[in-house]
Amino acid sequence: MNLPRLGHPDLGLGVGLRTVHFPYILENQPDVDWFEIISENFIDSRGRPRYVLEQIAERYRVVMHGVSLSIGSTDPLDFDYLRKLKALADTIRAHWVSDHVCWTGVASRNTHDLLPIPFNEATLKHVVERIRIVQDVLERPLVLENPSSYITFTDSTLSEWEFITRMAEDADCGLLLDVNNVHVSSFNHDMNPEEFIRSMPHERVVQFHLAGHTNCTTHLIDTHDDHVIDPVWKLYRLAHELTGGVSTLLEWDARIPPFPVVHAEVLKAREHMQRALPRPEKTGRAEAPGDGKEPSRVPHPLHHVLPEVQ
Amino acid sequence: MDRQKRSGEKPDAELRDLDVVEHWFQAVVTHPAGVQGGIESEEAQRQIPLGAGELERVIRRSKSLTATERLSVYANAYYTRLLECLGESFPVLKQTVGEEAFGSLAFAYLEAHPSRSYTLSRLADAFPRYLEETRPDRDDPRQPGAVDWPDLLVDLARLECAIGEVFDGPGVEGVPLLSEEKLRSVPPERWSAARLVPVVCLKLLQFRYPVNGYYTAVRRAGEGVEVPLPEPGEQFLALSRKEFVVQRYELSGPQLTLLGALVDGATIGTAIERVAASANLDTRSLAESLHSWFRDWTAAGLFTAVEGDLSVG
Repeated sequence: MNLPRLGHPDLGLGVGLRTVHFPYILENQPDVDWFEIISENFIDSRGRPRYVLEQIAERYRVVMHGVSLSIGSTDPLDFDYLRKLKALADTIRAHWVSDHVCWTGVASRNTHDLLPIPFNEATLKHVVERIRIVQDVLERPLVLENPSSYITFTDSTLSEWEFITRMAEDADCGLLLDVNNVHVSSFNHDMNPEEFIRSMPHERVVQFHLAGHTNCTTHLIDTHDDHVIDPVWKLYRLAHELTGGVSTLLEWDARIPPFPVVHAEVLKAREHMQRALPRPEKTGRAEAPGDGKEPSRVPHPLHHVLPEVQ
Repeated sequence: MDRQKRSGEKPDAELRDLDVVEHWFQAVVTHPAGVQGGIESEEAQRQIPLGAGELERVIRRSKSLTATERLSVYANAYYTRLLECLGESFPVLKQTVGEEAFGSLAFAYLEAHPSRSYTLSRLADAFPRYLEETRPDRDDPRQPGAVDWPDLLVDLARLECAIGEVFDGPGVEGVPLLSEEKLRSVPPERWSAARLVPVVCLKLLQFRYPVNGYYTAVRRAGEGVEVPLPEPGEQFLALSRKEFVVQRYELSGPQLTLLGALVDGATIGTAIERVAASANLDTRSLAESLHSWFRDWTAAGLFTAVEGDLSVG
């Protein structure tokens, strides 16, 4: 029997660390429970990003979240990249290292997108083998997230939740349950998001992600550019109830508002954790938010650090 | 309801290899002509041959979108994301040529140099060389030393790329630097055989246009404000980093030769000889200049140490 969260602590309510917020965080030392970093922005940095990260890691609890592991790819694993991940995780005492159930490229290319895999027995075997290798190199359990997706394959013979559940059990890894991604993918694939969340192996969920998305009417795009909407909060309450509560993190990656706005958004989770299901009244937004600004159309991720020059 | 599972629809033995599916998918969503062009491409057809209207043999439709429309989300995102990243890496070049022309250049670059790194920080690395190799006048007979508009674009790309490298590369923050006092304490008779150790973040650049001032002017003017283009003219620049911010120092030709020699590991005496030989300067005026150059560069933090036998002879 596994310990809840694979034995990891519930870190509370955290925020995805973004470079635009560096000055605010260093100057104000906001009372945030924890930060999640984008691993690729720091593993090679020998400039300000790395310097700021080390200062933040001194003061706050930190988790590493990657976008280039490409666990589902048929290309060989990049051991140089894995060793760099481990070195950074050791240096900043990261609580865990996560990435996505996806692939990012083949033939030595990186599309820098989180691409979908067909959910079937052969893919499952392939992914499980690679997770075991990665966990051996990192010397810690890997935590993997369900990404948003926009297509499904005719070669899928398992549902996404069946695939993820068996993957986590067979590879003995943790899960990052992105509640917004469940909502987005369920809308795009005509699935029931509550069935998805109820079917997860809840004791293996180490972390939740929350984020906003863009409603294109016929489909949703995971843009991380807005507030969390009510249907996603509703799923969050269900996930919280089923897991007993795990570390919760808000991602905001496009049209990023000032830090206090981002922090306030994740703090709304407190209220949702305290309320029993069902909850008819609304505190946030319904689907298709409209704030007059042009919404983003590019799915997460776009993580690029801009230089500072005099 | 599409539950991503169609039990009994296709036995596992009949499923395509994951490798085939991924090579096909990448060929389709990264094709410059979009999803339809991607499906018809040689690479995609080699992996999964599909005739017109057969995409749903691989990708399911949803209630609201066809399989082509669904795949287009990935295809649109691929170029949009990477073009945005390149635009952020070359803001001054982008403003100089205009958004549309920059988009065309960057699009063609991505086709020729798709990312092969785990980080977007490396995406722009080959862009200056690509611009040089594909310049429209590359086959025209040109006078030696002739400078034209494409040179300005290449120079701007090189400058912006170099700024990015110095910003996130190794630096000397927290490292003791050479002080003016230490510099002054070197006995005159030891000076020639001594070596000045440049900081690891020092990068020397040569341009065919005076891009440094232009770069500053465009950044100060802000987006959409037109800045007069510079006339051709050689410019030399040193980039370094102080407190994690990139610094730019304009250099004369002799200064570039001198600093270049020091970066190569030459003694101060050898470096000065190279300058004297290349610039045809008389020794007296050079000696007067050297004093202020070394003082200014030391004050700017371009050296970590002076090495050699520094004992009073």
